[in-house]
Amino acid sequence: MKKIYKYGLLLLALGFLGYHSVYFKKLSAVRAQAGAEFDFQAYADSIYYQGMLKNDRAVGLPALLAAVRTDADGAFEQYGNRLGIGNSAYFMVSCAGEIAEITADEIRLVTDEAGPVSINTRYIFGNALRDASGLVKLTDFKTNAEFNRVSEALNALIRTKVIPPVVQQLRAGDRIEVTGAVKLSKKTPEHPEIVITPAQIKPE
Amino acid sequence: MNITFNNQLLRRSQSLIALFLLCALIALLSDKFLTATNLWNVLRQISVNVCIAVGMTLVVLMAGIDLSVGSVLAFSGAVCAGLIKYGFAFESLDLFVGFTVLGGILGAMLVGLLLGLFNGWVITKFVVPPFVATLAMLTIARGMTMLYTQGIPVSNLGPELEYIGSGWLLGIPVPVWISLIVVLVFVFISRRTAFGRYIYAIGGNEKVAFLSGININRIKLAVYGLAGMLAAVGGVMVTARLNSAQPNAGMTYELDAIAAVVIGGTSLSGGVGSVTGTVIGAAIIGVLNNGLVLLNVSPFWQQVAKGVVILLAVIIDKMNRKEA
Repeated sequence: MKKIYKYGLLLLALGFLGYHSVYFKKLSAVRAQAGAEFDFQAYADSIYYQGMLKNDRAVGLPALLAAVRTDADGAFEQYGNRLGIGNSAYFMVSCAGEIAEITADEIRLVTDEAGPVSINTRYIFGNALRDASGLVKLTDFKTNAEFNRVSEALNALIRTKVIPPVVQQLRAGDRIEVTGAVKLSKKTPEHPEIVITPAQIKPE
Repeated sequence: MNITFNNQLLRRSQSLIALFLLCALIALLSDKFLTATNLWNVLRQISVNVCIAVGMTLVVLMAGIDLSVGSVLAFSGAVCAGLIKYGFAFESLDLFVGFTVLGGILGAMLVGLLLGLFNGWVITKFVVPPFVATLAMLTIARGMTMLYTQGIPVSNLGPELEYIGSGWLLGIPVPVWISLIVVLVFVFISRRTAFGRYIYAIGGNEKVAFLSGININRIKLAVYGLAGMLAAVGGVMVTARLNSAQPNAGMTYELDAIAAVVIGGTSLSGGVGSVTGTVIGAAIIGVLNNGLVLLNVSPFWQQVAKGVVILLAVIIDKMNRKEA
């Protein structure tokens, strides 16, 4: 008899947990609802194709590094973009050079005037592109989470649609032009390792 | 007689005394250490390690080891995030199965439990040394995390989950509540239940435990299962704190957990130790990390310091056992 109570209670507990853990909906209804909500991917697409690729915000990487070395505050003010306070800022840069190596994660590029740089081709995350572009404002969104979803959608677009087809065609020794975001800090004006989060890679 | 009792008491309180001395030293060197904000931060930071280390304590008490907890943490955290964010879609049935935060947490704990049980099964069924079996799981679970997430963080999981990692309840951070509950439950289990006594018996002398009728394989299976489940609790806490499941979460967490267990006085050869000791061990590591950061010590030196503390703990433990 005791066993019946024990298993009965266990079943009740499982039922309670299950009821509060899982919900079922029509897939079509879920998709319709998602479509009716703000479409972050469409927004990111428009930012990328209508804004990022068309504006002339990108500064030449050699010129930027030289400016940072001579007058970091001025260079950060003129070219950089940051949301809060701090020593770091994001910059939209462009440079050209010869590919030294292509790995699963990155392209090692020997640039014409700015030395070697790495271009992330696989792990494109964070807010570098959104913030460097200067096209998206925090005040346009109700919450930080929504603001971050723009980054997520923008990164997904570049990571899955923009970069892979170009990278597939490239080989070591090819010359390319790259436009993308870099993060620089006033604390380290020499910046021994430049990592570019690409917005666009074009074979020359 | 009285001297022997005092010596025993001193030996048992060694890690607690070390914690107090460490706190006093850091408080003397940094005026920020004893501020409420900093102390809450320390408690919040150690809460994940406490959960994992409690599971590790049970394993080590049985003279075992579980190197997979960091990877299990990452995989279960990813499963939690994936369930909450994506659910399951069945195209042919026009059905979407979604998961609430509770569903995600339970799913993660189930995954942790299953991976832990798998560890236990391999160890008991094929008599594989725990070090090797759990080392294999370390790689398997990390690989599964990468496959599940495609190496990409699963982010923006909503404010409800975020509350578990960053929220406050009755003036105490939620992760601290979680670790407190875990500690209380497992102090009770290890001290007041037959299951707890069996763990000590197996660690003390496995042959004798077997001859006295304890189902050793079943206890081992359960302990590894629990260790996996507690790693999953840690995984949920990490995911909640970041509001994002990171594929490389939990790297080297197993080392911090083992360090907490050893510093807390649990013998790596099994049979001796306690959950409360492990909590003190985790606190020592947390305070040490925090103190070194407050004192602007280089991260490289921080690693050296942590290693020295672990070494000292093991040497002192060995000396104590010789004396006893």
